[in-house]
Amino acid sequence: MERRLFIKTTCTLCAALGAGLTVASFSSCASIPVYAASVSRKRIAVPLSIFGEQNVQIVRANELEYDIALRKESDGRYTALLLRCTHASNPLTVTESGFVCPLHGSRFGVGGDVTHGPATIALKQLATSIEDDKIVIALE
Amino acid sequence: MDALQTIIKECSMSSPRCLSFLLFILTISASSSGQASPQQTSEDTLNSGTLLTNGTVIGGYGDAVYQNDGNAKTSTVDLERVVLFVGHSFRNISFFSELEMEDAKVSGDENGGEIAFEQAYLKFNLDQNHYITAGLFLPRIGILNENHLPTDFYGNERTQTETFIIPSTWRELGVGFYGSLNSLLINYSIGIFNGLNSASFEHGSGIREGRFEGKNASANNLAITGALQLYEGNLTMQAIGYFGGSAGVSPRQADSLQLTSGLFGTPVALGEADAQYEANGFTAKILGTIVSIPNASDINRAYANNTPQSEFGAYAEAGYNILQSSQGPEGKALTVFGRYETLDMNATIPANGIADGTLRQQHIVLGLNYLPIKNVIIKGDVRFVHTGTENPALIAVRDLAGQPYSSNDTIFTLGIGYSF
Repeated sequence: MERRLFIKTTCTLCAALGAGLTVASFSSCASIPVYAASVSRKRIAVPLSIFGEQNVQIVRANELEYDIALRKESDGRYTALLLRCTHASNPLTVTESGFVCPLHGSRFGVGGDVTHGPATIALKQLATSIEDDKIVIALE
Repeated sequence: MDALQTIIKECSMSSPRCLSFLLFILTISASSSGQASPQQTSEDTLNSGTLLTNGTVIGGYGDAVYQNDGNAKTSTVDLERVVLFVGHSFRNISFFSELEMEDAKVSGDENGGEIAFEQAYLKFNLDQNHYITAGLFLPRIGILNENHLPTDFYGNERTQTETFIIPSTWRELGVGFYGSLNSLLINYSIGIFNGLNSASFEHGSGIREGRFEGKNASANNLAITGALQLYEGNLTMQAIGYFGGSAGVSPRQADSLQLTSGLFGTPVALGEADAQYEANGFTAKILGTIVSIPNASDINRAYANNTPQSEFGAYAEAGYNILQSSQGPEGKALTVFGRYETLDMNATIPANGIADGTLRQQHIVLGLNYLPIKNVIIKGDVRFVHTGTENPALIAVRDLAGQPYSSNDTIFTLGIGYSF
């Protein structure tokens, strides 16, 4: 009976702790905005104006299998990373500290470098340029 | 959509055949939505697809261990597993597989050794954030089930909790739906697959032997899981639930065995929550899980396998990479770690069960993980085991030449592993 009480109490505490953590986290969660784009002549054009307070933007095009993480660097340049795990081509999950592959656990830093295997190759970086008021990502 | 609702309504009448049909429909619809629409066959789409997708990918992992059991005074050395991973992308639809060989050799006249598919499934991309898997896959349950590469976890042995309470690697045949919300840094998944086989439950290993693992699985029962992962800074949290039937046999056979049949007949429920933290070379994990088998007494009456009514396990682990400041781009790491684990595989037993103190266990593991590069690991650890006392009522024949059971043991393990 004591053991049963222990399990019940422990589970209740765990559930309460989990619920508390979840609620607290949900309320403080940052969000990564998603910009819907389209591919034209092997390029994607993104307005400079989409960058507000945040320096990271997810770019999504129906024609592409994977999202692109577009980052505004401190020196004003823009870096575009293809969010495809270089290990088994699984789509990556964006976190505040980089990118995670839920399939085998590979992790990448915000710059696309591998921080945790099994992936060994950094994320594919796509060339960017500024044309008028747009950031142009080359899909080469 | 109305047709789909009608099918779901019909399936609520608990017909396995109907639910199988629903899974088929889901897979077909995923397949069709994953294919490029006629509007997407422009030159841009074709070119971008060619430029940004892979063809075939090959990977793998494996490990070998030397282990000394202080109590039994025995040592073993084993090529535990070599796994070959092969995947192929057909654009929007991919194939993934992991073929595993355990213990280096399989011979018809010897025990041990196994060749098995750990995963073999098709993945249908719905969009950049959602996909469906169909086939033999590892549902998202616990930490190790999906991420079990030897370079991923501390120590040579997988945790006892994620071996016996959560029977990793736990793969079954079915359909999984995976998605993520960028707006809240959340991943979610739902899985529907075959249930367990309570006839195969074994005393001392929880529900582990009840897995079908894709081999002639009974679809008389089904199981569902749901998982929620949340990323917050350097913290990853997860909560999952599993509920599935375990009768495994036809309704007529179940009646004769006095087991409840139906989709979720003779149910097994599992709950799990975990959190992982990683920053500046410091890592921490906590995990807790509980299994409930409300009809354990019926299973014992039918199969006499001493099935518990509930079991639980939990562990807390911390590690620090001493080479954090000098690891370089090759990812060299030397991590010192410690883990405390407690589990009970007969936390509660039905009236017709027999208590076994040896299944109430505590483990303390201390060790070192050295990665000369990210994908190669050398491990050394010592595990201190403490259990309850054995129940003489469970000893049918005592091995007079063997060591008497001791509640304390020390297990020393050295190993090497790789993943790519």
